[in-house]
Amino acid sequence: MTDTLTTHAPGAAPCRLTHTLDAIDAATPGRGILDEGSKREIRRASLTAVCVPGYLTPFGSREMPVARGWGSGGLQVTLGLVTADDVVKVIDQGDDDGVNATNLRRLIEDSEKCASTKDTREATIIQSRHRIPEEPMGEDQILVLQVPNSEPLRAVQKSVTECARMHAEADYSMMWVSLYEDLVRNGVITKTTGYPVLVNGRYVMITSPIPRWDVPQLHDSPFLTLLGAGREKRIFAVPPYTDVRPLTFDDVPFEVEGSKDQQCERCGSTDTFLVEAAPGRMMCSDVEWCTRVTDADVDLDRHANNAPLQYLPDPQRRVRVAAAADHRDPKELVDRPVPAHAEGWTLAVRGVGKVHGPGGADAVPGTGPEAGTAISPRTGAVVAAWDVSFDVAPGEALGIIGESGSGKSTVLRCLIGDEKATAGSMFLTTLDEGRTDVFTLDDTERRALRIDTLGLVHQNPADGLTMTVSAGGNIAERLTAAGWRNYYEIRDRAAYLLEKVEVPLDRMDDPVHTFSGGMRQRVQIAKALATDPRVLLLDEPTTGLDASVAAGVLDLLRNLLAERDTAAVVVSHDFAVIEALTDRTLVMNVGRAVETGLTDQLFQDPHHPYTQRLVAAARR
Amino acid sequence: MQTTPVLTVRDLRKSFTLHTIDGRKVTSLHGVDLDVAAGEHVALAGPSGAGKSSFLRCVHRSYLPDSGSVVLHTDDGPVELTDLPDREMARLRGRELGYVSQFLSAPPRTAPLEVVASAARRRGMSRTEARDAAAESLKRLALDEALWDVDCSVLSGGERQRVNIAAGTVHPPRLLLLDEPVSALDPVNRERALELIASLSASGVAVLAVFHDLDAMHRLATRVVRFADGDIAEIGPPADVLGAHAA
Repeated sequence: MTDTLTTHAPGAAPCRLTHTLDAIDAATPGRGILDEGSKREIRRASLTAVCVPGYLTPFGSREMPVARGWGSGGLQVTLGLVTADDVVKVIDQGDDDGVNATNLRRLIEDSEKCASTKDTREATIIQSRHRIPEEPMGEDQILVLQVPNSEPLRAVQKSVTECARMHAEADYSMMWVSLYEDLVRNGVITKTTGYPVLVNGRYVMITSPIPRWDVPQLHDSPFLTLLGAGREKRIFAVPPYTDVRPLTFDDVPFEVEGSKDQQCERCGSTDTFLVEAAPGRMMCSDVEWCTRVTDADVDLDRHANNAPLQYLPDPQRRVRVAAAADHRDPKELVDRPVPAHAEGWTLAVRGVGKVHGPGGADAVPGTGPEAGTAISPRTGAVVAAWDVSFDVAPGEALGIIGESGSGKSTVLRCLIGDEKATAGSMFLTTLDEGRTDVFTLDDTERRALRIDTLGLVHQNPADGLTMTVSAGGNIAERLTAAGWRNYYEIRDRAAYLLEKVEVPLDRMDDPVHTFSGGMRQRVQIAKALATDPRVLLLDEPTTGLDASVAAGVLDLLRNLLAERDTAAVVVSHDFAVIEALTDRTLVMNVGRAVETGLTDQLFQDPHHPYTQRLVAAARR
Repeated sequence: MQTTPVLTVRDLRKSFTLHTIDGRKVTSLHGVDLDVAAGEHVALAGPSGAGKSSFLRCVHRSYLPDSGSVVLHTDDGPVELTDLPDREMARLRGRELGYVSQFLSAPPRTAPLEVVASAARRRGMSRTEARDAAAESLKRLALDEALWDVDCSVLSGGERQRVNIAAGTVHPPRLLLLDEPVSALDPVNRERALELIASLSASGVAVLAVFHDLDAMHRLATRVVRFADGDIAEIGPPADVLGAHAA
């Protein structure tokens, strides 16, 4: 454990530090169920969590005497922090006397020889599941929350690595989509515990397990909140006086549970979080508070000021907020003329190459159309594409044609960033007026380009859509990624796009997996067009659709390209598609561009042997 | 006789290498020179395979010439077409050239009005102007108004060809290339089409045409160029060239 510290300070000092730490360990013999090393690890993670508010800090957890998922995360945090001078309070479901709460409290008391209390005012550390106490807490108190699920992105992304990337790039559009979907399905936000919040303007954190009622408490709170997830071995924190904002669309107000007219049956409180104790009978969830209200041992004004009453559901407020929000015309995005380079292009591709396998550029000799193979005789690498160059002007569509395996899609994947090009460069006039090579950008910057500048339509709609999300939600994903935070604006834009691609609007809120192949492709096109990208890349947009559906999609694309100033690249092995959509075409064979020309000229007067074969084959 | 030059062709050569048939080489133009002025109607005559259509297509760049020069004199000065970058060629084609072949090549599932209007838009008209011009053009060729918004593929051969002529001539281009434009038309419609072509010449459009019927050539051409074996065999007034040829 001490090794991690020595790496920060090489030389003689770390040895001294190590010795010091060892000395501390020797001076504070193991007490309770956690040894000093484990506690130190927890403290270290807690400190990191405080330094990076909302960030999920992993920690090395030892085995615990309680099952993970039964409060082991919160318990470890408390055991790591608690001293003999502390007074600990434990709440479960708002109650100090539940079986879990009682057992955890006894465990902490026995292990750490500290005092315990049921009175929030006396406690220095409050470990809780489900609630923040009704009694307003102060700067000298620490709230420890037991967290069953720590990863806010888990519901929308199964891959742990991908979640980490999304946090790193603050790519939270899928969180917004889940809120959008909730609103679409239910008319109001129904997500109660675990509501996502943006902490300190940076990390989205899950507030599990507290209800929405308690979420406003975390904002600018005087107390420190530490959240421990035992199963996932993560600690995260909201330091005192930190900005904590629930994710909320600009025109849909954040609301808490409850209503203005409900009241606790027992103590008569109207400003507390109530739970249904029996059918139709509402009572305070915080038993301590309820009892003290009955005993008149509370500061009611102080509590009322602290209660989130302004967030109670109110139809009039919803209308007011929706009306106050800015609303763009769904047809006209911000005026974004397509800038053209002095040489006329929007997108320029220079010498792009992709080699799968060893050797890089050295693998290229001996491959290509003349050699008749893409496999390098020298290294065995596959030269999927090499030395492909072209540029596309605003309002122009360039076709790339060639049989399967000729490298068409590889080139497209290099452009979009799904694959890393081995060689070449790519320029966009929207990026530094075409002076910066897109291939030199990092992944985050490439992603930003995909949201703002490049639209991609995959051959398979499943690659471009989230199938469980509605058609509108899929478009919302792209829009929220681009910073749209206005629910009704997003709805209008999605409806406008779906109408444009001729998807009936009464299907807008249906999940796309219920759509036919042709409809899915239309939704995918609408999604690609969501932010009005200046460059549209189409990868076999009609392949895999039956003839009549393909014809419909083709007509749609033709009309879209004709009316917009987009620069488009159309990849297809089908001459009919290329002919219908493009003016100019590049022919690829075994990874090389073998011929370029006007599309009709290539069709009527093909020069390269390969193009002649292709054209002959196309004439059925 | 007007003398504003529109098209200057020098030493135009075109051959085809047929890689699918053991690399056989077929030559179709052996260095052709030709000038066309504004308002002039130059008819290309000669037997099949003499190179008439190849010549038209080389000017249009649907064939890529091997060598030689094709210069179009535009408002912005002369433009060499043989090595004009594809992108500029595509734009210049839309703006300056009208090309009417024997068959309509419209995108699938488009309606006559749309086909003609988009041709007019490419020549620089606004959306509404283009629609009006297209309507007028179709009316002039007497295409039944009930057919204007149906799919072109359901039209008869003659109807389709009138759409083709309308698209080639709407908002008249600088140079009109005609490759047997009226062969699919009945006598009445043929007459209408020929009148339209004549009126375009009168308004200053340069026309380069291949007709198979001598009558049309006699009526429209200011000059006739007789092709033989990929080269020009004779140039002169219709009466001279056609008369001599017919005899």
